[in-house]
Amino acid sequence: MGSFFDLVVGTVTQGLIYALLSLGVYITYRILDFPDLTVDGSFPLGAAVAAVLLTRGVSPYLTLIVAMAVGALAGLVTGVIHVKLGVRDLLAGIITMTGLFSINLQIAGSNLAVDRATDTIFTAAPTMALFGAMPLIYRKLVVSLILAVVFKLILDAYFSTQSGLLLRAVGDNSTLVTTLAKDKGSVKILGLVISNTLVALSGAVVCHEQRAFNSTMGTGQVVFGLATVIIGTTLFKNLGFVKGTTAVIIGSILYKACIQVAISLGLPANLLKLITAVLFLIILVLGNRRKSGVNANA
Amino acid sequence: MMKKIIAVAVILAIFATFAAGCGSKKVPVIGISQYGEHASLDNCREGFLQGLKEAGLEEGKDFVIDYQNAGFDDSIATQIAQTFSANNVALMVGIATPAAIACFAAAEDKDIPVVFSAITDPVMAKLDKGNITGTSDKLPVDAQLDLIRKIQPEAKTIGIIYTTSEPNSVSAIAEYEEKAPLYGFTIESIGVTQQSEVTLAVDTLISRGVDCLSNLTDNNVVGVLPSVLEKTNAAGIPVYGSEVEQVKIGCVASAGIDYIALGIQTGKMAAKILKGEATAENMPYETITEFNYYINSAALAEMGLEVPAEIAEKAIESGQ
Repeated sequence: MGSFFDLVVGTVTQGLIYALLSLGVYITYRILDFPDLTVDGSFPLGAAVAAVLLTRGVSPYLTLIVAMAVGALAGLVTGVIHVKLGVRDLLAGIITMTGLFSINLQIAGSNLAVDRATDTIFTAAPTMALFGAMPLIYRKLVVSLILAVVFKLILDAYFSTQSGLLLRAVGDNSTLVTTLAKDKGSVKILGLVISNTLVALSGAVVCHEQRAFNSTMGTGQVVFGLATVIIGTTLFKNLGFVKGTTAVIIGSILYKACIQVAISLGLPANLLKLITAVLFLIILVLGNRRKSGVNANA
Repeated sequence: MMKKIIAVAVILAIFATFAAGCGSKKVPVIGISQYGEHASLDNCREGFLQGLKEAGLEEGKDFVIDYQNAGFDDSIATQIAQTFSANNVALMVGIATPAAIACFAAAEDKDIPVVFSAITDPVMAKLDKGNITGTSDKLPVDAQLDLIRKIQPEAKTIGIIYTTSEPNSVSAIAEYEEKAPLYGFTIESIGVTQQSEVTLAVDTLISRGVDCLSNLTDNNVVGVLPSVLEKTNAAGIPVYGSEVEQVKIGCVASAGIDYIALGIQTGKMAAKILKGEATAENMPYETITEFNYYINSAALAEMGLEVPAEIAEKAIESGQ
């Protein structure tokens, strides 16, 4: 069963790394009610920045911070385009995403691989000092878990601050924000900044894990993010004690698990996406059944 | 309470299914991760299996294949490689760069050799050191320019469309631009970022009056080749392919790599590793330089072109 256990570890690790992206999408889509397509550009942006800095010998931990800062900037651009220039939400994201495609290539030069001798957050000395006794795949799990939990807790704490409450109010009832004499535009910009910070962080961690930046790695990440947010929040809708942020992290792990099941079933390779889609459907239907209380025969 | 139990059960059920992929494996498993469905990559995989066979290994007895296709999705390539790694396959094969990178990353800290194929620049992809080897598929640019010159002695400009984010294409364009003057050509190139821009680029090149188009192994361009050919045929401009599959679709000719041969060579390298005759660590990667001439007589006739006898006798007729 060793291999089965490794498979679970690997899958959960992927889920946790991408959960950072899902948390970002959760803020824009679920809380701000803003369909932000910047994600497809800010995710590879984080990876591009991390790849370039890693190859230049910058501390791996610092690369994450710089990637987050650059991701924040991407969110700021979308926010300003939408709020200050009055461009529709979807289009504002599309504009930033499109521009980022070129910017990412400009940053990285081309698709960029990181040498195995270069230390990443999974192999650098401080990580090794703490978890060096573990094999690499467990170290990857632990580091990803720490990142996901830390940022989840920071978000939870933020949501109960005044600024965080305003953020939630903009999505739920934007008139209220105006009545409170607050500028809902700047609240939206702030939400986009936080969201894309997390998305870029996710991209940077993927780059550390894969030791590569690929300019097309952002394609479909918005869809992934939306799917995980919906899976997570639908499944745990009736379980009040599960916070939205936790639900989203579990949603991300489940998404990766669905793909893993499809791979492990060993069916024809081209059916992979179809099987994944069917698994999502099953999860969502099960979630909805519970919502409507029809669980007598479940 | 029931709800919680169901939620937990669903999650457990999903993870339990993983076990399905981890059956008994006395016969060594070769995990093949192919980046996507693509004629050249498919040929590469078929050649690989043929190469194993030619090296005397028999499927089912000496090895079994676990073939996975990532559908051009990097994150799926990652999970495929992880699956191979967790199942402790005997050998991982990555076809095309992102698939090979994912395999190599999943093999880090493990003792699983990785063999790659269809990678133009293994050094740039950082796949040249470690427990890894394979074959590289550099385009025979000189041969292609020479071929175009012989078929179209009067031609001056060659139009090329390439995807700016594909490193293979970028390095091939640089080589074309460097070598074109030696054959009396200038290159008119247009970079695109996605597939939908390719046909627009064709219109632009036609309006700039190029004498012909030449393809790279660019996935975006090759993916919409039929609609490219529709436009160029209407304008009477011949298109040269970069490998046989493109000539089959309707390009006039190509000096191209034989991806089946590339795969066979890769398969033989993998066989050496499986038999324990060599390790991936100390086997350097190999670059294929041999090429074949492929022609499509029907397409040539439509353009009013003829292939000189010296090439025609060596060429492989690939038209329908």
